[in-house]
Amino acid sequence: MGISRPALGLYLTATYPSVRHFIEVLNGVRGLVDFLEIGIPTGNPKYDGPIIRMTHRSAELKGLEAVKVINDYSKYSKAPVLMGYAADYIDSLNEVASVARSVNAVSVLFPDLLFDYPELIDKYVRVMEDSGLRPSFFISSKTPYKLVKRLSEYNPLFIYLGLYAATGIKLPIYVEQNVTTIRGIVGDTFLVVGFAVNSPDMVKSLIKAGADGVVVGTAFIQRMSNLESALSLLKWLRGGLP
Amino acid sequence: MAEGWSTMTNVPTHWYNIAVDLPKPLPPPIDPYEGESRIALLNRIMPSELLHQEFTALRYVPIPEEVRDIYARLGRPTPLRRARGLERLIGNGVKIYYKFEGALPGGSHKLNTAVPQVYYAFKDGAKEVATETGAGQWGLAVSIASALIGVKATIFMTKSSFMSKRQRVLFMRTYGATVYPSPSEVTKYGIEALKANPNHPGSLGLAISEAIDYTLQGEGRRYIPGSVLEFVLMHQTVIGQEAIEQIPEEPDLIVGCVGGGSNFAGLTYPFIGARLRGEGFERTRFLAVESKAAPKLTQGRYEYDFPDSGGLLPMIRMLTLGHNYVPPPSHAAGLRYHGAAPSLSLLVREGIVEARAYTQEEALEAGVLFARSEGIVPAPESSHAIRAVIDEARKMPKGSVILFNLSGHGLLDPDAYERVS
Repeated sequence: MGISRPALGLYLTATYPSVRHFIEVLNGVRGLVDFLEIGIPTGNPKYDGPIIRMTHRSAELKGLEAVKVINDYSKYSKAPVLMGYAADYIDSLNEVASVARSVNAVSVLFPDLLFDYPELIDKYVRVMEDSGLRPSFFISSKTPYKLVKRLSEYNPLFIYLGLYAATGIKLPIYVEQNVTTIRGIVGDTFLVVGFAVNSPDMVKSLIKAGADGVVVGTAFIQRMSNLESALSLLKWLRGGLP
Repeated sequence: MAEGWSTMTNVPTHWYNIAVDLPKPLPPPIDPYEGESRIALLNRIMPSELLHQEFTALRYVPIPEEVRDIYARLGRPTPLRRARGLERLIGNGVKIYYKFEGALPGGSHKLNTAVPQVYYAFKDGAKEVATETGAGQWGLAVSIASALIGVKATIFMTKSSFMSKRQRVLFMRTYGATVYPSPSEVTKYGIEALKANPNHPGSLGLAISEAIDYTLQGEGRRYIPGSVLEFVLMHQTVIGQEAIEQIPEEPDLIVGCVGGGSNFAGLTYPFIGARLRGEGFERTRFLAVESKAAPKLTQGRYEYDFPDSGGLLPMIRMLTLGHNYVPPPSHAAGLRYHGAAPSLSLLVREGIVEARAYTQEEALEAGVLFARSEGIVPAPESSHAIRAVIDEARKMPKGSVILFNLSGHGLLDPDAYERVS
């Protein structure tokens, strides 16, 4: 239950823009990505940028119902990671974990866990492990070193470093320097990076800086109305992997 | 050491980023759900290096040699002095040290971040910087830094201060800056505020919105902020790094006043960081002192809010009174701000930093005591810290050690002290 190194990941919001189109995309990306991150549509995706927020608003189904459509899609070979907001499931982490298991997911990532519910980290890890899943954690470049170190000791599936302040919005940040700094703290833990990834050169430099996996989301979603164009993007980005 | 004008310490080589040592992660800035992305807007208004610094994962960020040179030319390291006169006045054997940022040419700590911010704007090719100012210390610092580095400065000064601190306006103009009272008639935010209330006293939040709007109106302009953002606090950590080198004994209490949090953070963060890393200062208390005119630390809500009244900047999670809060006019205009920097807000929430609010009268009375016992008229803002120092010293046992930040002098604020003296 791990991800190969180096890896290209894809973020999609479940059932955006429709169940049918979402399933078509899942079919289409087979063989082009090494792991999938499936967003659970929420009414408050506060740490996401404008494009991903739009996908949450526009998804055909909402909440865990949207994720369950993956269950109907048994041919898909890559076990996904679910991504939801802990704020929606603070009293029902077990339910999320149960749905994750039912759709053959390997982990549930909560990007707001550390910022909004740091006191629940241990509970989250317990729920994941009790459900046969692995924990995974989202951090920013300013996450305290001690906490990053502690997270790596939970043996997570991965630690996901958000490269920018929000998904899809580039800022003049030395992201490679931040990746290298975090790599120095997490040791051998699988380090995923993402936000505003849009070129093979960027993929290459992030892997070189110490990332194990790079996730694309916004750039793909912006092309999703033309699946061929979106799939070409993935092929192009894969060119950045060593 | 610390008996007089200490010159033994070198200018620090790095700024300290406390985020990586905090007990909890700093929540990231976010966009509101309505309107354009404020995060994307940062690309158009701020010097690029500052944005990197806002999101850096480094604990220590190198200070460019050009900036260190200017720091040295302007008088860094600033002196750490022993307040023997104030100690005698209190008379219980408590030792009081202060870091005198008023020794810098602008008369306050603000040059510590004005210099790198203007420097980075210049490196980006900017011809002009725009900013807000309350009492005028920040505006004056930006005017000085801009004159030294060679860019134009445009300052939006809260109207209540623009009217009462005329000499600071004249100083800014001496350095070549253009100064507008805020609300002004040169931006839509100023015009709207004047329309709603022709006697609007202004607020820092409104002045920020005006400076950003002005930046967006022209080519070659960059907006630079005086407080609240984390890189501003980081630049100020030269104060505390020097103080750690200069002070001969471990403080029991460190005190600073808080507008947005930069001078308080500048002095205390290197000490707090050392404690959080288990490298000393275990017994040291940290006390942040605010004005009762803007009591966000003691009465604010911890939530996402805009740092500016117009809602042009991304929302940050902080202790806030609400971005539409208009503090009553006060001589300590630098403290008239609705929110506190995210890292300081978090430290207060975690109980690592204590907070207290004083009225203007309580603060200015302490400022007069300090002036008469130490020979330095403190800035009205700094007098809030002095009030807390006096109150705390009276309760502490003999031999206790207090360190505070005399963040600025009050030579341009005699009107503030007129009634108390």
